[in-house]
Amino acid sequence: MTQQKLPVRLHTASGSSVAQDTIEAGTAAARQAMAGMDGHTPELIIVYATVRYDLPTLLGAIRAVTGDVPLVGETSAGHFAGAELLAPETGVVVLAMTAGPYRLGIASVQGLAADGEAAGITLARQARATLEPDRSRHETMLVFVDGLAPEQQALVGGIHRVVGAAVPVVGGGAADDRRLSQTFVFRDGEALSDAAVAVWIGSDEPIPVVVGHGWHPIGLPLLVTKTDGQVVHEIAGRPARDVFEDHIRQGNREELDRVRPGGYYSTHAFGLIEPDGTHLIRGVFMDGDQMINTFAPLPVYSAIQIMSCDEDDLLSVSEDVARRAVAGRDASVLLVFSCIARLDVLQSRGEEEAVRLQAAAGDVPTFGIYTYGEFARTTSVAGYHNSTVAAVAL
Amino acid sequence: MIEPGQHDVVALTEQLREATTAARHAYRDTGRLIRLLTVLSSPAAPDELLGRALAGLSEAFDADIVCVVSEVDDRFLVTAASGLAEGDTSHVEGWALGGAAATAVRDRRPVAWDIESGARDVPPSLAGLGIRSGAFVPMSASTEQSDELLVLYRSTGETFSGTDLHVLASVAQRLRIAAEDRERAVAIERLAESGHLLAPHLDSGSLVETAAELLKRLTMSDDAWVVGISDGLAYGRAHHGTAPVAVDAIGERPVAELRAWNTAARGEAWTGFAEPWDGSVPRTVLCVPVLRDSTPIALLYASRNGPRPFGVEVTEIAMIFASYFSTALENAGLYRELRHRATQDPLTGLANRELAVQRLDHVLTAGSEPLTGLLFCDLDGFKAVNDRLGHESGDELLQQVADRLQNALRLKDLLARFGGDEFVAVLGEIRSLDDVTEVGRRLIDALREPFELGGERVIVSASIGGVLGARGATTAGTMLRDADAAMYVAKSRGPGVVEVFDDAASNRSLDRLSIRSELLRALDRNEFEVLYQPIVDLESGRPTAFEALLRWTHPERGAIPPDVFIPLAEETGEIVPIGTWVVEQACQQLATWQRMPGCDDLKISVNLSAAQLWHGDTADKVVSLMHEAGVAPGDVWLEVTERSHAGDDVTAVTKRLRANGVHFALDDFGSSYSNLAYLKQFPAECLKIDRSFISGVAREGTDRSIVRAILAMAESLNLDVVAEGVEQSDQRDSLIALGCRLGQGYFFAPAMAGSEATALLRERVAVPRPSTAVSGLRLASRR
Repeated sequence: MTQQKLPVRLHTASGSSVAQDTIEAGTAAARQAMAGMDGHTPELIIVYATVRYDLPTLLGAIRAVTGDVPLVGETSAGHFAGAELLAPETGVVVLAMTAGPYRLGIASVQGLAADGEAAGITLARQARATLEPDRSRHETMLVFVDGLAPEQQALVGGIHRVVGAAVPVVGGGAADDRRLSQTFVFRDGEALSDAAVAVWIGSDEPIPVVVGHGWHPIGLPLLVTKTDGQVVHEIAGRPARDVFEDHIRQGNREELDRVRPGGYYSTHAFGLIEPDGTHLIRGVFMDGDQMINTFAPLPVYSAIQIMSCDEDDLLSVSEDVARRAVAGRDASVLLVFSCIARLDVLQSRGEEEAVRLQAAAGDVPTFGIYTYGEFARTTSVAGYHNSTVAAVAL
Repeated sequence: MIEPGQHDVVALTEQLREATTAARHAYRDTGRLIRLLTVLSSPAAPDELLGRALAGLSEAFDADIVCVVSEVDDRFLVTAASGLAEGDTSHVEGWALGGAAATAVRDRRPVAWDIESGARDVPPSLAGLGIRSGAFVPMSASTEQSDELLVLYRSTGETFSGTDLHVLASVAQRLRIAAEDRERAVAIERLAESGHLLAPHLDSGSLVETAAELLKRLTMSDDAWVVGISDGLAYGRAHHGTAPVAVDAIGERPVAELRAWNTAARGEAWTGFAEPWDGSVPRTVLCVPVLRDSTPIALLYASRNGPRPFGVEVTEIAMIFASYFSTALENAGLYRELRHRATQDPLTGLANRELAVQRLDHVLTAGSEPLTGLLFCDLDGFKAVNDRLGHESGDELLQQVADRLQNALRLKDLLARFGGDEFVAVLGEIRSLDDVTEVGRRLIDALREPFELGGERVIVSASIGGVLGARGATTAGTMLRDADAAMYVAKSRGPGVVEVFDDAASNRSLDRLSIRSELLRALDRNEFEVLYQPIVDLESGRPTAFEALLRWTHPERGAIPPDVFIPLAEETGEIVPIGTWVVEQACQQLATWQRMPGCDDLKISVNLSAAQLWHGDTADKVVSLMHEAGVAPGDVWLEVTERSHAGDDVTAVTKRLRANGVHFALDDFGSSYSNLAYLKQFPAECLKIDRSFISGVAREGTDRSIVRAILAMAESLNLDVVAEGVEQSDQRDSLIALGCRLGQGYFFAPAMAGSEATALLRERVAVPRPSTAVSGLRLASRR
């Protein structure tokens, strides 16, 4: 999976299918992608698909077309190739790409639930080892992670311990069309649960990871005063749910009517106050005990603000992210990881995001997925996001 | 245009925005501080605590890199980091101190840095990261503490504010204290867990191995060594860890060459850096002395790969561990000494009785060889050396003997000193009794050369008894008893003799042992009797003297032959009182006879054993008994065998008796050495020809020739001659023909009770004495 460093352009092509039949869908999407390669041999296949398909069959159908080219990817809550959104529960998209100016290496790990940090360490070491000893000047890790595995930040921390600050991390948590049941990552012909797959990308030039969310605070800063894992018990000494819903009533006249049946507060979230004053979004849902939960544990005594968002802000930030990602780059593809929560907020305007992303990326084709959690580690160790859009241009 | 009132709204909105921002910053700062303090107070191992705290600082201060660095030789080396890749060269090669960092170290205050200042305060490995600002925060405000810095680097360009530095300074110190506390807690916990593990090690080898292992754990090091100190030299005893250095590769070197020595000799701990095993990062080394009476008897070394300094607490705990170790070493030493004393003979260093018995027990029950030999050695003449040259010389002789015996044995044999001048050898690789005999002879040979004692040459020999034992068929006790008995038999045969017992001999020896014990009581129980056998003029048959002969009638066993019980009496030393009793009886009997008519010139002959001759007061005792009985010493002949005469003690006794007029006869002449030179030295005036020659004297042949030669020799030396064991008339006639005048034997009369002898005297002395027959014979006539 390694090749000599060549000053050649990256060739990519994508295909998609909404066929109900697994084999038909996989075959069609793969054929379309391969056809677009204009004779260039792909070195990597990226696949996003609805969890509705029989996944091993789907991957088998795709690899029947692509051959033994390494394959990565994950199940989604919607995905897009270019401006066309395939809504949740729909279809498959396939991206074929050469290595171009990059050097690529693939690794995977299982056992996230048992020890997320250890899994991160193993994943990073194995991924890095694929290109050793000839390392590139700049390196980036592209990760696909079981989106329902606990402690996603621990995985990022483990990766960070091995690769350090110099290697940005970008990627997304696999989704299952909002079922919150089981998600899968792909490696070659296998669909793996409780697992993560990484692509190590070596490059002569920096590969910046861009991130944005478009959310805004709707109240004064608060301290989280009591948590238990993912459950937030108290904020500023009061029951967390009271505090959270009080803010929703103040900031949004439509009050709680957009609370999802699954208990997910799609338009409201916690914003962890970052050192630079920005916010790291943490999505919020209510569990069966009517307790406030976050997808990733909030450290106790975190300074937070309750955040809200509106459709225009979200769409606007997507454009900004896409523009920044391709700016100054001679890119061939823009990989986008956007949160399913954003699609929930956008509702009927959901299809607009894919359109505006592609418009902002100009002639760089976009290839994106709606995820359960986005990875974008750039400066500090923190790199796990919710309700965010992350992107990297290759 | 803004309406009146709108100004207020705008201003209020602006104020609210500012207030919210200020509140956000305040909450952010409070939150980060609380979170960092939470990390510092949460339970975690030292390394984990550091890792979490640095990750927390990375998040809280939006820093790409957060690390702890140590100053080593004007360079910074990273000891812990968040944001540095594994294998980053800053861990290994470090980087030169820049201006801001140097200021922070020198002034012990936090210093902010940014790229605009142009200083080179970034490790080269981070060049690609676009670091634009940094903070250097001393981990300790005190110059007493180590030169560690907390370093944060940002690529965002935002410089660290004064408030940031204040918070960081506070966190850095607390981080150091927390890490040290944690390290101490872990060390104390491990000390509590493992300190007592030293105590059960009574073998110093396993003790030092365990100490090295525990020290490594206790000090959270990569390696630990125990270095012994002896006579100013240090030498590696044990190592535990990953270092590619064998413990014996440390070799021996003078303690003065050790960098830690001066400090250790003061009883203090030493820390410093040392060359790495590989690469260029120095190791951090801790050395604590193990003291006894304030002097180092060993050094404990712990080494951490890389610059990870040992905290004060860990150092103190290592000192406590060293004192535990010292106590355990002392205990092990005492135990070893006790064990040594329990199994070693302190004088010779040989095994002692207990160890020899243990070994014998082991080979007879669980050994790998079917047969085992045992030799019991008793020195001949040791007592004389001890008496003459003193105990110190005696001890030295025993040591020299031990050395020679040891050298004469094989590796498989075990030599033990049983006490006094007794040695026992347990023999391995034995196939037969002949092998046992052969080893015994080697031991005899080993003692043949004289010993040098205080400038004097001394000769001693050994009497050795040996037995063969089969595994599973005999016991240590039985073998020792039989070997002891065999040794006594050897001793009775003279110095330097090896006697081995087969089973039959062992059975006999068992019987002998029983007889021996009963012999001790026989005198008190009046079980002895003295019989008298006449010594007669061969031609006339007239008694000229009687030989007093001891007989023992055991109440159950009946008559026990003299050749059985006399050696036993000699072995036990009981022969001395018994012999004295015989002399007393014989003298009293002679006195009675001499009062009979015609018997005034009668003589009495009494056997004297070698043991009596060695007994210093025998002369006085015997002479005094003669006087008490009213007998002239000149009428008493003491019969001794040739081998009785050995050593100066005997000469003194015989001289003294001879000076009192007592005569000496050599008994059983011809049966032993027949050493003519010896005849010259010994004041014998009579030879008693052994009965073995008399039996053949009637025929031409060797016996007759020997008798003729003895008679000729006696005549030339002016010695009387008595033929023993004359049983037939032709023997008497032949003896007469050869010129022998006196004889004794069944032909004339057996040994008889005193009353029967009296009757015989009455009968025979009445026979007219041939006037010439016995004239000139001392044993036959008064001089």
